[in-house]
Amino acid sequence: MAERRTIEVGALARVEGEGALHVAIEDGAVAELRLDIYEPPRFFEAFLRGRSVTELPDLVARICGICPVAYQMSTVHALESAFQVEVHPQVRALRRLYYAGEWLESHLLHMMFLAAPDYLGLDDGIAVARDHRAEVERALRLRALGNRILVLLGGRPVNPVGVCIGGFHRAPSRQELADLGDELRRARGEAEALLHWFRGLPVPVRPQPLELVALRHADEYPMNEGRVVSSDGLDAVAHEFDQAFEEHQVPHSTALHSRIRGRGAYLVGPLARVWLNRERLSPTARAALDSLGSRFAQPDPAASVFARGIEVLEAIDEAIRVIDAYEPPPPPPGWSPRAATGHGATEAPRGLLYISVTSDARGEVEEIRIVPPTAQNQACIEQDLRGLVPTVLDRPHDETRRACESAIRDYDPCISCSVHFLDLTVERRSPCGCG
Amino acid sequence: MRVRVIGVGTPHGDDAAGLALAARLQAAGLPEGVRVVSCQRPGVDLPDVLAGADAAVLVDAMRSGRAPGSVARLAPDALPLLRSVSSHGLGVANGLALAEALGRRPRRLALVGIEGVGGEGDALSPEVRGALDVAAVLVRSLVDELLADAASGRD
Repeated sequence: MAERRTIEVGALARVEGEGALHVAIEDGAVAELRLDIYEPPRFFEAFLRGRSVTELPDLVARICGICPVAYQMSTVHALESAFQVEVHPQVRALRRLYYAGEWLESHLLHMMFLAAPDYLGLDDGIAVARDHRAEVERALRLRALGNRILVLLGGRPVNPVGVCIGGFHRAPSRQELADLGDELRRARGEAEALLHWFRGLPVPVRPQPLELVALRHADEYPMNEGRVVSSDGLDAVAHEFDQAFEEHQVPHSTALHSRIRGRGAYLVGPLARVWLNRERLSPTARAALDSLGSRFAQPDPAASVFARGIEVLEAIDEAIRVIDAYEPPPPPPGWSPRAATGHGATEAPRGLLYISVTSDARGEVEEIRIVPPTAQNQACIEQDLRGLVPTVLDRPHDETRRACESAIRDYDPCISCSVHFLDLTVERRSPCGCG
Repeated sequence: MRVRVIGVGTPHGDDAAGLALAARLQAAGLPEGVRVVSCQRPGVDLPDVLAGADAAVLVDAMRSGRAPGSVARLAPDALPLLRSVSSHGLGVANGLALAEALGRRPRRLALVGIEGVGGEGDALSPEVRGALDVAAVLVRSLVDELLADAASGRD
């Protein structure tokens, strides 16, 4: 008689939003596995219709408390492409600085407070702070630099309001940026030391075949611009997104699942970016990657924490580069709305964020589509767990559950973006009652 | 004696109560050694905001069941009442625990809650707006109390 057991994680901690994991095991094999996302739908795409395009950068910033910059960036790129607005090179550079600020904040939050407790067997970031005070203080100092960049360009850390079509409402002075540049230079060594500390932790190893998707730019590490490419040969531009990918609904998630047409699940995020853009990393970041060689020999979602650490270095170097070459740009150019559709794809901390906006001739939003990174990664997370579960079933129940939760956190899911996240139920059903 | 007055909140309706109060206190001016700061991400930023402070008064919107616009000094165990709408569950309680783990939680700490009701968009509700004067008076008296305690060497 078949043995059936179920693993349930009712509410996943240390992820953003509300979700759960349900796994049913039959005869030692995974019979059913669902990443349940029950975050209520947020209807952003519906209630943004009819709003003025000029309001969009502020409105989309409210989709996420962690990655508002990403929503602002994909949106203004879509609108600028729809209205054929030329962006000044210094604005383009400032946007990279702005994005670097968000990467620093988001990556350091995840590495130290969401992921590190898993590697250390601790309950939360507070316990990590008690046992590893110097490292936590270091992460907080680095993160504060990201925060300063966000406030400088966005006006405030939560729901920033500094972005407009064509640029920023206020461009910082050279002096404001110069002070920051000096601090960033001093921070580089701290970021290297932090990554070194993570290398010494027992980070799981889970290599697997994965199709990785990220932007790739001719000569820059991707943030705002580039072609959408994959490790299996996909090569498209933003407006071809729908030809390359398809979204579909699954009953257990209020966020749409994504797949590459004709293939299947794919991974977006820091691991995919590092993987597909190694040669575009700054020398410091590249050296860090090289020193982690074996962790990047095969795609491994568990190595995402190292990819984040590498991108912390990349963000610091990029911020310094922008600041050193900075001249305040002229005010944003004038533009006129027209009936058109524009597409924007930029690299949120958690991966590719695609937005398309259709405006009418008066500049009112007719339609907006938002495809966030966590929604795109859902199928990949489920696929990863299907491989992981059989390898951890022989452990005590709590450890099995913890391994599943930790694997999910490798993706740093942001469920409130994807709609929010996680309850894990691991049910082990068996007729003999032993489960 | 270095005293911090910390207005906690986000720019969303009544959740901005602490930020609004901080702005008001800043404009009014406070005694020497007292610094007013605002904190929009308390879960992670409180350790930085508290660094070097000997004492602090922390003001945030709360959801306690009191009448909208009520202003109350809260006991430390009432922390969960401070409205946490932060992502990843990183609210004031988390931020204070983190500050404590890092040795940055001041020995003298007073908590003030302002009962929220909602508010629309970026605007405070009339109840919370109307409560800011009372809250400012309470915070001033707590600051004076902290300064007097320090002057007399009391804990």
